[in-house]
Amino acid sequence: MRIVVAEDLYLLRDGLVHLLEAHGHQVVAAVGDKPSTLRALAEHRPDVAVIDVRMPPTFTDDGLQAALEARRERPGLAVLVLSQHIEQLYARELLADGLGGVGYLLKDRVFEAEQFVEAVERVGRGGTSLDPAVVSKILGAGSTSPLDALTDRERDIIALMAEGLSNQAIAQRLYLSEGSISKYTTSIFTKLGITPDDNSNRRVLAVLAFLGAA
Amino acid sequence: MHPAARAENIDRMSRTRGVARSLAQGFTRSLALVALTGFAPAAWVAAGVFFSSLGHGPVATSGWTLGVVGACLVLFARPSCAATRGLVTRWTGVELPAAYRPVVPVTRMATGYWWNGYDYQRLRWVSVCQRWLLARTRDPASWRDVIWVLTAPLTVGVVAAAPLALITAGAVLLPASDPVAAVPAIGAGTALLPVAWRVVTPVARRFLGPSTVELLGTRIASLVQGRADLTRAQDAELHRIERDLHDGAQARLVAIGLSLGAAERLVDTDPAGTKVLLRQARETSLAALRDLRDLVHGIVPPVLLERGLVDAVRALAVDAPLRTEVRSTLEHRLETPVESALYFATSEIVTNAVKHSGGTAVDVTIDRTRTGVAITVSDDGRGGADKPAGSGLVGVESRLAALGGSLRVDSPPGGPTTVTVEVPCGSS
Repeated sequence: MRIVVAEDLYLLRDGLVHLLEAHGHQVVAAVGDKPSTLRALAEHRPDVAVIDVRMPPTFTDDGLQAALEARRERPGLAVLVLSQHIEQLYARELLADGLGGVGYLLKDRVFEAEQFVEAVERVGRGGTSLDPAVVSKILGAGSTSPLDALTDRERDIIALMAEGLSNQAIAQRLYLSEGSISKYTTSIFTKLGITPDDNSNRRVLAVLAFLGAA
Repeated sequence: MHPAARAENIDRMSRTRGVARSLAQGFTRSLALVALTGFAPAAWVAAGVFFSSLGHGPVATSGWTLGVVGACLVLFARPSCAATRGLVTRWTGVELPAAYRPVVPVTRMATGYWWNGYDYQRLRWVSVCQRWLLARTRDPASWRDVIWVLTAPLTVGVVAAAPLALITAGAVLLPASDPVAAVPAIGAGTALLPVAWRVVTPVARRFLGPSTVELLGTRIASLVQGRADLTRAQDAELHRIERDLHDGAQARLVAIGLSLGAAERLVDTDPAGTKVLLRQARETSLAALRDLRDLVHGIVPPVLLERGLVDAVRALAVDAPLRTEVRSTLEHRLETPVESALYFATSEIVTNAVKHSGGTAVDVTIDRTRTGVAITVSDDGRGGADKPAGSGLVGVESRLAALGGSLRVDSPPGGPTTVTVEVPCGSS
């Protein structure tokens, strides 16, 4: 995949570039602030961009703003946003357009190289990858209304879906057959009122419902 | 009778009744004021007459009379002022808080002497009496009472007495000597009756209300208190951060260093063991990051820094287990201390609502007011909330007070609970 890396700390940027290249990807640009991120995205049209939330010039949420802006320009542009902290609010904003190709992970996840690269690839293919911290926060916070209708098993599955796992991966994780997982997902979509003819990615909509924003 | 005429009649009757009531009210109030302010001078005059009738000569007479005047002032200044304050409040609703120094309880010191806030005494009852006397002679507010007792007869007393004197003169004295003057005297007295007593309000406000010095004193005391609270809170906060760093991230970094050192020694001889150590180091570094993240969140939540107050409160609402709606009319970012104080206040209030209200939903509104920013948090719970000492709200309150802000809890039993936080600020 062709990847743009946007991270202002040199060591981390360098580490990310090496990590991604070691896994056979091509880093077409490595930048360190918002304007150059937007330029690089427009110029290189990468398959996926890995972007840090806090960057120059304002050192607030420049990276997130760059990601959102770029996706408005090019709907569906795959972005994986990294941060030192996880906010459901940001996750909702990233997923709000329902187009998928969104990842939102804690920086710590980079330590697990294999899983991190997998997440980047999944996002590049149009999937989603939400940090388990977001997922556990929602499950830990007690019931939010759209999830009330789901059974415990369905909640387990939607949580793994939010992390970005495919049916096959979920089946492996829960020691179930892929067939029964797909039955569960169909039931989840029905309960959340997500119809098959939606143009948007049904899994993304389910995750949005999971975030309580749908 | 024609309906319109009847209505007019009723109207006239009620108007007449209103005039009669205000005349009666004026009469009783004027009388009360004359009695209240005239009591002391009357007592002095009586004392003067009494002592001069004893015939001990001018020096002794004036000495005794002055003694009675002084005793009167010490004894009656406070009750007389208290009565006047009470009447003014009852008649006009104007509050005139007394600003006496607080009474210090008489306490026995380690030396066996009794301390009353002014002096040490060997005997308890002496100390109590001294406190009583000194409170009436040393307290500036008591001196203001004395000034009131001296000036009130000449101001309020004279004005309040005027309509009574005119009516009495017109009704009783003049008809005999000068009947032509009797009618205008009664007229003038009646016209003055409803308004004369009102002079007490401005005069009492001037002499009985707290003086500028007292107001400033109170303000300074509260500022000093606020500053001390703030310093203590900051100190406690720094200690907490130090402890968290020491027990958390710092300790974990030490552990990482140890693991890496061991791995370095083992790398040639025991690759499998090295792998275990390296994995340990990585896991510990994750834990250190987690600790640091929690710590940072407690100091300044990153979303507050990145997005400002409104989005930070929204993030709070998204994470809250109760359905939480946030509405805001705030357009610009505020100064960071104001944002922080308001954020932590809101966070604490929402947490309380979640923990204690028993409700299902929380509404947060953030509004620009004329002087600053107000945040209202209301829930649909059972109410009856208060601010017990030691609760998080007290800390929140002192942090707000340092910015000139305030916190108000309105929580009738049965609910709902509404907590309002206000901080003055200029827009930025």
